[in-house]
Amino acid sequence: MTTVSPTEPAPEMLPYAGPPAQQRGVALRNFSMTIALVAIWLFFGVADPAFLGPRNLSNLAVELSITAVLSLGMLLIIVPGHIDLSIGSGVGLFGGIVAVLIFNRSWPAPVAMALTTVIAVAVWLGMGALIVRQRIPAFIITLAGLLIFKGLHWRVIGSQTIPIQIGAAPNLVSLLTTWFLPPLAGFALMAAVWAVIAWSEVRSRQRRISFGLSVDTREVMISRLVLWAQGLLLFVLVCTQYRGIPLSAVILGAVAVAVYVISQHTRFGRYLYAIGGNEEAALISGVPVNKVVIAAFGIMGLLTALGGFMQTAYAGSSTTTIGQLLELDAIAACVIGGTSLKGGRGTVLGVIFGSLIMASLLNGMTLMAISPEVKFIARGAVLALAVWMDVKLAAKT
Amino acid sequence: MAELVVLEAHHIIKRFPGVVALKGVTFDLRPGEVHALCGENGAGKSTLIKVLSGIHPYGSYEGDVLLGGEIAEMRTVKDAELLGIAVIYQELASVPEMTVAENIFLGREPTRLGIIDRLKMEDEARKLLRRFGIEINPDLTMRDLGVGHQQLVEIVKALAKNGRVLILDEPTAALSESEVQILLQILRDLKTQGVSCIYISHKLDEVLAIADRITILRDGQSITTMEAARATKSEIIRHMVGREIQDLFPRRQTKPGEPMLTVRNLSVQGPPGATGLRNISFEVRAGEVLGIGGLMGAGRSELLMHLFGAWGKRISGSVDLAGEKLPTITPDRAISDGIVLVSEDRKRYGLVLEKSVGFNLSLSSLDRMSRMGLIDPTGEHAENQRMFDSLRIKARDMEALVGKLSGGNQQKVVLGKALMTRPRVVFLDEPTRGIDVGAKVEVYQLVNRLTDAGQAVVLVSSELPELLGMTDRILMLHAGEVGGTFVRGEADQEKLLAAALGQAIGSLEGKEQA
Repeated sequence: MTTVSPTEPAPEMLPYAGPPAQQRGVALRNFSMTIALVAIWLFFGVADPAFLGPRNLSNLAVELSITAVLSLGMLLIIVPGHIDLSIGSGVGLFGGIVAVLIFNRSWPAPVAMALTTVIAVAVWLGMGALIVRQRIPAFIITLAGLLIFKGLHWRVIGSQTIPIQIGAAPNLVSLLTTWFLPPLAGFALMAAVWAVIAWSEVRSRQRRISFGLSVDTREVMISRLVLWAQGLLLFVLVCTQYRGIPLSAVILGAVAVAVYVISQHTRFGRYLYAIGGNEEAALISGVPVNKVVIAAFGIMGLLTALGGFMQTAYAGSSTTTIGQLLELDAIAACVIGGTSLKGGRGTVLGVIFGSLIMASLLNGMTLMAISPEVKFIARGAVLALAVWMDVKLAAKT
Repeated sequence: MAELVVLEAHHIIKRFPGVVALKGVTFDLRPGEVHALCGENGAGKSTLIKVLSGIHPYGSYEGDVLLGGEIAEMRTVKDAELLGIAVIYQELASVPEMTVAENIFLGREPTRLGIIDRLKMEDEARKLLRRFGIEINPDLTMRDLGVGHQQLVEIVKALAKNGRVLILDEPTAALSESEVQILLQILRDLKTQGVSCIYISHKLDEVLAIADRITILRDGQSITTMEAARATKSEIIRHMVGREIQDLFPRRQTKPGEPMLTVRNLSVQGPPGATGLRNISFEVRAGEVLGIGGLMGAGRSELLMHLFGAWGKRISGSVDLAGEKLPTITPDRAISDGIVLVSEDRKRYGLVLEKSVGFNLSLSSLDRMSRMGLIDPTGEHAENQRMFDSLRIKARDMEALVGKLSGGNQQKVVLGKALMTRPRVVFLDEPTRGIDVGAKVEVYQLVNRLTDAGQAVVLVSSELPELLGMTDRILMLHAGEVGGTFVRGEADQEKLLAAALGQAIGSLEGKEQA
């Protein structure tokens, strides 16, 4: 390329107005979400001091785990630009199947869980295949799923209440929400978690420096790690005041790490974002779009089954209302956490944060014995508010 | 008052965080004049238009915009429209589901008692279209029109608002030759009606054909303004790039090797409404550039898309890749087999605009960079960096969003993504559309590099000089069939055009099927 002057000066670039505006949008969202969370906690804390008591916070941790596990699955569906309205009914159905297998058929819990999980993944893969191969919008297929799974759920449990355990004998399902990590193990686990976070922060920072990319200052990184340490320490201290770290929180941690790695460090995750950003370009770039979307639905099925076990275990038995409207909580959590409903954007940490807001609201309202009517209205209002914010901020970026 | 001036930009300076996009641009527009703005991508043309059309509001820049001798304080696009400035953008802004008439009167529908007067609207639309000599039925929906006709409707829409100053940003990028002629005729008519035009185009022939004066921008500065009657192409290019480009088409021929892609008697059925492909045969050898030309709708892009597994259903025929049968495929299979496609529509088929340069570059090559599905960040970054450097992509760094880059640099990212797959056959569909002369030559250099390395290139282009200058053999398509094949040196523009129109004279069809 000798004929054209090779070193053109910087103004050759288009005026660079990108990241600042985007960062402003993200910063604004983070800020307002943090304020919202603090406001929610203050409000319920003042209205009923028991809200911030160890026992309730422990319950909140379990409820957060259920919401967040489902929301993380939903993240993998929304990022490529789809939606799943059927997971609430799925939670009910798979909890119901496991309860019936254990209580009515006396199956060992692990076998019942394994079979149910296989069914869940197969059904969700099927829904995904219908969506991409027959070109039916996910909205319609999963809306049909919502009704069908609800019907199946009620049929499976005969519209009765089916306990998750026989008598008081604990099993793998019931332990999901009733087993707690002993204090020492809790501290050790949190220390290990912190060490892993610190190690990956430092490593990623070093890597970015070696790539010549911009990095946060050392001080910012250290204060972020201190914040992590404080958060984790606070969590384990609160938990030990009650019965220790709930197993469900550990499960959430594992799911979060898995979804984080999938979304940020795998080919599959990249493809999800590419499909959500521009499906046609992704296809022409050689992304196997159909396979990727079907696989995302498969993971959603797996997490729906897991959420179903946890939710049913938390309630103690499968009833007709288990799982109801959880899909909307999950969607709201995703959107609150910065996931774009148009696809292409969303993070694991954001979704967990969004789940925390949703779980806190529901927990607080239940604690204050707010009537179901009002709870419905509040959930609806939060969902609308979250989507409105998403639209507002999307216009900004 | 010999030098009456409609619009004047006086020493405009526009700063963005970190970059000064305009560093003092001065130019003026006379009544009934077509004034062309020329400059490479990033020279500041788009920024200047945004200043003149109220997108960058009054007060956000230094210097003055004068309209009829008074300072124009345009704070919004609406303000600019009220002052009689209308902009027609490269990207279409019409509603595809609505009719031509509805689009023309969008937002200003004639009403009677609050109810839209459809008859009046269609009548007015018909009159307007007739006035500009455009034969389009105003009852048709926009979706049914080709891109070129949609563009013409856009222009009529802008003119219907009684604009005094019309700004056209690359209006012919998507137009066919005959549509370009209609557009130029419209502009000539407008001149006699006293409407002034600011005309931005990379196609210098057009600029010389239509413009009265030409102002060159480079690096955010107005370099010179010249009378078009006395300007030459090479002079314009010299001012644009700051030095002379000796060779517009630096094709370096290499000795063709083994056949890479052999297509025999291919017939393809397209989706309903689209023309299919019939009985197409050709061959591309390693180190060779095959050009494919033809009019719009002749099936050029469709042929590439089909071979890439993204268009139509094969009825008959066979495709061999390096001597092996290539089954009906999907794009991901095509890429792993060594075929890659750079689409003509980079925003639609090329890029994930809201993601970074690096994300886009490696998107097609992640298989190679992953172990058990996990992406190796060091390896990925190294490959991205190498491509970023060798293509000289101008961006802040690899994390800059692709959507924020200029057209030429976006095109380099698409090319980089394709090359990173280490292809054996490269399909380039209009790779130089809408990019400036300097970037064009860089694309051509890249084609040379590919053929030097023994890769086979198929280059689709609607510009005949590009086909003649950059390819070794040319296949002209006409209505989904082969209209003629030519060897470099034996073809000229007339022969190619005749073949594109289905009147092949110098056809050498069949010769290559030995």
